[in-house]
Amino acid sequence: MPGELESRRSFIRKGIVGTALLVAGGGVWVGTRRTRPDPAIRGPLQVLTPEEATVILAVADRLVPPRRGFPRPVEVEVPRKVDAIVAMAQPAVRHELRQLIGLFESSLAGLVLDGLPGTFSGASPEAQDRRLRDWATSRIEVRRTGFRALKKLVYAAYYASPETWPAVGYPGPPTGGGRR
Amino acid sequence: MAESWRANGPGRILTGAEISRDYEERADACVIGSGAGGATMAARLAEMGARVVLLEEGGLYTRDDFDMQEATAYPRLYQEAGQRATADLAIAVLQGRCVGGGTTVNWTTSFRTPDRVLEHWRSAHGVEGLDPATLAPHFDAVEQRLEIREWPPAQANANNRVLWDGCGKLGWKRAPTRRNVSGCANLGYCGMGCPIDAKRSMDVTYVPDAVKRGAHLYANTRAVRIDLHRKRASLVRAEVLEPGTDRPKGHTVLVKPKVVVLCGGAINSPALLLRSGLDFNGRIGRRTFLHPVVASVAAFRQRIDGFYGAPQSITSHQFADRGPGKLGFFLETAPVHPMLAATSAGGFGAAHQEVMARLGHVCALIGITIDGFLPGEEGGTVSLRKDGRARLDYKLRPQHWEALREANKALARIQLAAGADTVWSLHEDPVVLRGEADLAKLDRAPWRPVRVALFTAHQMGGCAMGKDPDKSVVSSKLRHHQVDNLFVADGSVFPTSLGVNPQETIFALAHWAAGHIGHNLR
Repeated sequence: MPGELESRRSFIRKGIVGTALLVAGGGVWVGTRRTRPDPAIRGPLQVLTPEEATVILAVADRLVPPRRGFPRPVEVEVPRKVDAIVAMAQPAVRHELRQLIGLFESSLAGLVLDGLPGTFSGASPEAQDRRLRDWATSRIEVRRTGFRALKKLVYAAYYASPETWPAVGYPGPPTGGGRR
Repeated sequence: MAESWRANGPGRILTGAEISRDYEERADACVIGSGAGGATMAARLAEMGARVVLLEEGGLYTRDDFDMQEATAYPRLYQEAGQRATADLAIAVLQGRCVGGGTTVNWTTSFRTPDRVLEHWRSAHGVEGLDPATLAPHFDAVEQRLEIREWPPAQANANNRVLWDGCGKLGWKRAPTRRNVSGCANLGYCGMGCPIDAKRSMDVTYVPDAVKRGAHLYANTRAVRIDLHRKRASLVRAEVLEPGTDRPKGHTVLVKPKVVVLCGGAINSPALLLRSGLDFNGRIGRRTFLHPVVASVAAFRQRIDGFYGAPQSITSHQFADRGPGKLGFFLETAPVHPMLAATSAGGFGAAHQEVMARLGHVCALIGITIDGFLPGEEGGTVSLRKDGRARLDYKLRPQHWEALREANKALARIQLAAGADTVWSLHEDPVVLRGEADLAKLDRAPWRPVRVALFTAHQMGGCAMGKDPDKSVVSSKLRHHQVDNLFVADGSVFPTSLGVNPQETIFALAHWAAGHIGHNLR
């Protein structure tokens, strides 16, 4: 699960793409303005826009690639559950997380940093894995931090869902709770 | 509207759900925080006849609420809905936030303070009068009340048996831990609140003890500020939060106390003092220690079922003292529930899935580094963000990375010696080991912030005790150096980390300090 990101200004300033993004407008919406909302996203969402939820689902689809026995992230409603986790955070943290989603999705950031001219959600699975790996092991600490936040959000939402437990061989809590 | 109080009258518990007006209380003692320090303090002071008001920002939950689901337990019972971390996200912070504090969600491991730590506090930090003999009766008392006893190795789960067997094969020290449980059914869900009240946590021991003796407990009630009047803490201002959302309800609780005892833990106690403008020497929030933790996961042919059974019952202190210039570390275990495992495991995609697919066969061991003892080691810092929230920074230095790396190697060796077929580090590019020959791969791995998952479950320091008012926050009697009627009694007063799990040290310190704090109230 995510913790504190750097404050918004320092988060932006530290990224190489920061200046370019600020020039482009600086709002939270900038990163996702080219995102095509996934029709599989079912509302209602508390905090995230359908575009932001689409980015989360795209990340989740690569963090948990298709494998026999593992439900697809959309089936366990990862976007809605991530939205619920984000909604529990303090307002400043919520804003930072949305900013992060936008930065990760941004075509401008993709072009400058990864040579990926397009949004994350619109890229091929191979290109998506490349950007995830680039962020995970980046020399720029703030990108590794961003990757970690996304990873923890998605995995928390996915693996806390009982529908995923058969895939990992977890029978769940003892039946009847502890009332014995 | 003032609420009348009959000395030693009936106790009372109010939660954010019930509070629908402002309250004003006069009290002998306002205790802030109901965890290991606050609950022990409140129970002892109430027993001595003091009128106690106990404020807790988290919610009140009982065994019926503990559903053994990670999805509900972490948001409800942990700080920042389970999302607390250092500012750079390098270290995830597991810290309780509910009635009972960390004791409601910890893994029950109980140690007395090592004698050498008390001696170091005396010689290096000027702590006076806190020696093993002074503390011994207080350890005895809390061990009796909380039923702290050794957990028989025969009842250790398979995850802990890996630590036991591996250390045995390598000829390393190993020992059963002591746990604060009674009637434990070995379920394995200590970290999500005990569903059968077997854990003798504060919510079922010292908190009810205090209330039986007349204490007033306010849950979902967050202390916002301590006001000073003529150099004395004259008023504690608290806001009432709505359970579930934590949004302020618009009601306040004002407490006018004779003394304030701050027990909010090593992050929230310094934050409250900073918010209250009570930092007179720049020492508040300094020397924060975390016992930074590295973990190693390994898969075995046989099932481990690390999600069941007492999460911690074996410990190894083989490497607690590695000589001058090096941080020591000690070795324990972690439960293997899906969400905790998935958010901790390294990598993503198919490689991450491979670990998760074998979860029932996975063992998780942890190496807990002992920070705060090296010359010049200043630890982390708690400060305030613009919106008043606490911010935690912790810079890991080369000595820390060396210890984390060596701890990871020791954990991997134990798992391999116990028969693991595959061991994974928690790097974003996980190091995969299949035999001793692979250990050198860990030397070449990137030991840098946010390249490898690190944790802290033990937050200490930030309001250090000591003799010198320029270098510490509270005296050896836990009294604030500049504010006569303000005490701090939690893990924040430790001048260093401990080298053992901290709950029992906090119980005993609070139990001891309640003696002189209560005596002065008479």
